[in-house]
Amino acid sequence: MAVALPAVVEELLSEMATAVKESARIPDEHLLSLKFIFGSSAIQALDLVDRQSITLISSPSGRHVYQVLGSSGKTYTCLASCHYCSCPAFAFSVLRKGDSLLCKHLLAIYLSQVMRTCQQLSVSDKQLTDLLLIEKKQEA
Amino acid sequence: MLRMAETLRRVLSGYSAVETREDTVEAGPPLLLLGAPGSGKTALLFAAALEAAGEGRGPVLFLTRRPLQSLPRSTGAALDPLRLQKIRFQYPPSTRELLRLLCSAHEAPGPAPSLLLLDGLEEYLAEDPGPQEAAYLAALLLDTVAYFSHRGGPNRDCGLIVALQTQEEGDSGEALQLALLQRYFPAQCWLRPDAPGPGECRMRACLEPSGLGPRTEWCVTFQLDGEMKITRWPTQAYDPSSVKSSSPGGQP
Repeated sequence: MAVALPAVVEELLSEMATAVKESARIPDEHLLSLKFIFGSSAIQALDLVDRQSITLISSPSGRHVYQVLGSSGKTYTCLASCHYCSCPAFAFSVLRKGDSLLCKHLLAIYLSQVMRTCQQLSVSDKQLTDLLLIEKKQEA
Repeated sequence: MLRMAETLRRVLSGYSAVETREDTVEAGPPLLLLGAPGSGKTALLFAAALEAAGEGRGPVLFLTRRPLQSLPRSTGAALDPLRLQKIRFQYPPSTRELLRLLCSAHEAPGPAPSLLLLDGLEEYLAEDPGPQEAAYLAALLLDTVAYFSHRGGPNRDCGLIVALQTQEEGDSGEALQLALLQRYFPAQCWLRPDAPGPGECRMRACLEPSGLGPRTEWCVTFQLDGEMKITRWPTQAYDPSSVKSSSPGGQP
């Protein structure tokens, strides 16, 4: 489902958020659960969070979008309101094969929300339009 | 007649039997309206547009590739010009234009729409049939509506209904695409032809809110004069707690 996470994942993220508020780190048991559910994407996503790779971009209109700097140096665009990422893994593993819930970039966004750590960037309304109009060449 | 319009709104807004208070109107989940050519999707979309326009919560945005040949007659009264005024028609001629329209929705001034309707999704998808392109368009539709809801303020959600033409015998490619779209549109309403009476065309509308409520069915009848009537599908078969055996022909 691209509009909601499975209940078990929502619960895990919620527990993580509570734990982070108290101790500023994710408890090992949550990390284990994360790995269990997401496999290797979990480690990669945590790495992206550590490297401050996620940016929340907003404009005066209040609309926003995410960008994630991938490990390869490429920047991917992710929508804020439902699951969409411009990376090839999303198209392949999530959409085509259906064996992944999220790509590592989308997972990294959820984790950065839990950890409350995310770069912020303000752009103009016009610039936000261009960012949302994810150009084809990025997907090549 | 008012009951009919209310019924339609509930059908297409996907909130089935949930009662809503006047001040808090939930739009319901995004809904995918599916049916073969001529099954009444455009007429239902337009009826939903009129209903939402009458609620006075904000303009209605109706997107379609070509201007409607004729305004479909709706339930009951003649088309109210005040309502029509609140429906904004836009005709993006290509997928690119549609994407641009959605991506720049936050640049447009004025009040946020209360309902976004898109007719003919299949035409826009045909240009770029890959899964990533289909997902991108579906996701953008959701994102645009999320933004409208945000701008509308508290208690002012924006609804989304998208009509997609399906074939009687779809191929596996179409089935894959539909499965993908269902990820973004958890609620679907299927329009299937039913045995018609004399001089009328009847459709059976099955609303499947996917885990958000039970499946409900409706009968949509298009009469000779173009008028559309909606009634609950007369069935007792779905109620497991019912002790009496069902007798056909009963109307609630």
